[in-house]
Amino acid sequence: MNKSIRTLYLALAAAFAVLVVMLGYWQVVAAGGLDERADNPYTMEKQRLVDRGRIISADKIVLAESVAYREKGKKYYRRYYPQGTLASQVVGYATAAQGATGLEQQYNRYLAGSYGTGAILDRLREETKDGADIRLTLDTRIQKTAEALLSGRKGAVVAIQPKTGKVLAVASSPTFDLNQVTSDFASIRKEDGAPLLNRATAGLYPPGSTFKVVTATAALVSGKWSASSTFDDKGVYVVDGKPIYNSGKSKFGLHNLTDALTFSINTTFAQIGDTLGGRKLGGEMNRFGFARPTEIDLPSGEVATSGRYRDGKLLPNDQRDEDASRIAIGQENLQVTPLQMAMVAGAIANGGRMMRPYLVRRVITPDGVVVKQQRPEEVDSVASAYIASEVGRMMQSVVSEGTGTQAGLSGLSVAGKTGTAETGDPERNQAWFIGYAPAEDPEVAVAVVIEDTSGTGGTEAAPVAGEVMRTALSSDPVPGEPIS
Amino acid sequence: MSLRSRELGFLIPALLLGMLGLAAGASARADALQAGPWQTALGVALVFIVMHAVLRLRAPLSDPYLVPILAALTGIGLAMLYRIDPGLAGDQAIWVTLGGIVFCAVIVFLPDQRVLERYRYLIGLTAVALLVATMVFGTEVNGSRLWIEVGGGQRVQLGELAKVLMVIFLAGYLREKREVLAIPTQRRLGMNLPAVRHLAPILVFWGAALVAVVVLNDFGTALLFFGVFLAMLYLATGRPLYVGLGLGLFAVGALAIWAAVPRIGARVDSWLHPFSDAQGSGYQMVQSLYALADGGVVGPGFGRALLVSPGGTPRIPALETDFIFSAVSNDLGYVGAIGVMLLYVLLMARGFAIATAARDGFSKLLAGGLTAVVGLQAFIIIGGVVRLVPLTGVTLPFMSYGGSSVVVNFGIAALLLVISNRSRQGLVEAVRGVPAT
Repeated sequence: MNKSIRTLYLALAAAFAVLVVMLGYWQVVAAGGLDERADNPYTMEKQRLVDRGRIISADKIVLAESVAYREKGKKYYRRYYPQGTLASQVVGYATAAQGATGLEQQYNRYLAGSYGTGAILDRLREETKDGADIRLTLDTRIQKTAEALLSGRKGAVVAIQPKTGKVLAVASSPTFDLNQVTSDFASIRKEDGAPLLNRATAGLYPPGSTFKVVTATAALVSGKWSASSTFDDKGVYVVDGKPIYNSGKSKFGLHNLTDALTFSINTTFAQIGDTLGGRKLGGEMNRFGFARPTEIDLPSGEVATSGRYRDGKLLPNDQRDEDASRIAIGQENLQVTPLQMAMVAGAIANGGRMMRPYLVRRVITPDGVVVKQQRPEEVDSVASAYIASEVGRMMQSVVSEGTGTQAGLSGLSVAGKTGTAETGDPERNQAWFIGYAPAEDPEVAVAVVIEDTSGTGGTEAAPVAGEVMRTALSSDPVPGEPIS
Repeated sequence: MSLRSRELGFLIPALLLGMLGLAAGASARADALQAGPWQTALGVALVFIVMHAVLRLRAPLSDPYLVPILAALTGIGLAMLYRIDPGLAGDQAIWVTLGGIVFCAVIVFLPDQRVLERYRYLIGLTAVALLVATMVFGTEVNGSRLWIEVGGGQRVQLGELAKVLMVIFLAGYLREKREVLAIPTQRRLGMNLPAVRHLAPILVFWGAALVAVVVLNDFGTALLFFGVFLAMLYLATGRPLYVGLGLGLFAVGALAIWAAVPRIGARVDSWLHPFSDAQGSGYQMVQSLYALADGGVVGPGFGRALLVSPGGTPRIPALETDFIFSAVSNDLGYVGAIGVMLLYVLLMARGFAIATAARDGFSKLLAGGLTAVVGLQAFIIIGGVVRLVPLTGVTLPFMSYGGSSVVVNFGIAALLLVISNRSRQGLVEAVRGVPAT
């Protein structure tokens, strides 16, 4: 019987070995993922012990900081947002009850100090922790201008630096006060206009005529047309037996491609789209990053993918059987984010090279050690430098003599494109403007969308874009690093 | 060094471990260095010292490692209970004292375990009676019918006692039948099987285990009883076929019940997908997994994890009983939890060593069965906590809060030591030329 006893012992010991492996899975392998789950009470409780790092704008304004307080002789921290509503959707919040959003979530690891080897040592002591500060590319002067211009309306503004991808402003209106999230979340959520939604990155809008920038690029890339290629507009272009008209049913007669963009001539772009076909136009859309998640340092749930949607499902760009003539003028279920359109403008501004947008340029500890430094990265090349400059020239014409004159800045050359997506209700147009300035050496690219307006992209969005670009160009960079 | 001095040599550090754990838990609670509930600690230490003394007097040749292992497990368990709620540790200290009394009584009044073989059928019937009484008169707690109300609002888990009685009965029964069970007499389905009438006990046990799952609504108890039965059957016959057959039958039966009884189906679902209803049926499991994750590799230390909310409510329901191992893993981390599991493996190593050293079939089966009970029970509940098997309501031996469990497990330890003492005594007498009794 001793042999069976030995076997039984070994079998049970082996069973315990399986337990050890399984426990190791939960305590070591899966632990990180479990710690990060939003409903994990440990994570919430521990947050109170952490002196979270600050979130500081490019012009050194503190957007979020931790304030110490004592409770039952123990030191805790709570989050305070000195700027209240400013850039609230981007900054985000980090609470026990509501979870975390925005940069507070995306950079939680750094803000909460749980990065690097120090984190393992911290587990040994359950003491208060110091997080690292994150320094943004976002400039509150541009941000404030954008928010002031949007105030009272629904819409969004994105401003980026075309050469680097630095995000200078991300405004979404209406906003909410980050300091009220812990006390009054229910009423924020009930507020009209969904203030919690970051329209700039997660709002999907039909792009309207701003999409013609993409089509114009595709046209030049194809080699079939140049900026001076001529077209004859009869006021209507028929595809599959259905007519496409110009805005206001205008008729332009003989004109060239530059004129077509300048006056946003639908029939010409529909014809270009028709000639290019879904494959070629779709290929250009791929290069511009449509139908692909936008890479930006925000939680993926707060960034929508631009592209064509059917029944809520994203479609590939280059399906042959699609109506390319309508895609070419920004129709056919196209849904885009202001961020994506700012990147389109930025790519043209940057000689065809699209840069990855980023909000945080460095992570730095309270002792001044730089933990992470973001360098500009190219996402894709949308066109050659020559073609980009040609498209840029056409876009300059839009602002100097076409639909976008209200974005014009005295003494500066501005390139742009307007768009007005009609919803069927003349009081509820969605007005667009995308563009950049100065045209010769672009410093800022913008996308503006205004919801529910009776005006057009030229009358509503262009002035906002002009003002934002003017602020961006007049805001001197703030020197000196780091601040203590 | 004598066996008992060796025992004392291991017992003292084991007791200090528990005391340190209590002091650390108290210090974490008060956020200042404290000695902790030293009266409780000393009281429990005294119980173990008395047990040691009784062994010195009445079973001097018994295994010297078992009591220190017990002391370490009990000490860590007490420290965990104290950090959950000091009141629980106070109660548990009383149960440990009662357990110590039962332990000493067994050592003193049962000099030779072979007496039990004579009463095997009476003992077996008592076990069945206790289980039936639980099924009929039992009160449901947390959906499982495992308790019987006695006076003063106390509840007793008769199943715990029945578990030991069943092992004694099986040791006697299998000792008697092992030859006929071990020798196959027919061939069916490509397997060599004994006569059907000898197979009948397996089928009876299988049926009883499945009935228990449904009536007691307790998968763990059923699995434990059936598992111990299979383990002892294997010990008696040396035939893995029985184990395979039995496990197969149990799996088939469990699947059938899972499909047929929606209540049990729901429990299995929450085992497989706890996160799909993290605030409802999966809540307990999910909270426990968070506790494990929080513990990490080393854990923050006794009493330092956030297992209990500031208001004093444990974050995991049944933390002090079913989920005491989560508390260990959270406070002491992966390293500490492995340490506790190693203590159980050591306990099994000693128990099976005692079985190996025993000189007659009944004693071998008894020691092997008792060891298997403790080992399997620890495996089932830890397995439930780490989501290897469905979570069940069995206690973690020597650590979980609960009088019935503590007292019975101390009794099991005493029985093992009686067997150990007896076999060494027999050896000594054999060497001296005295015929063994």
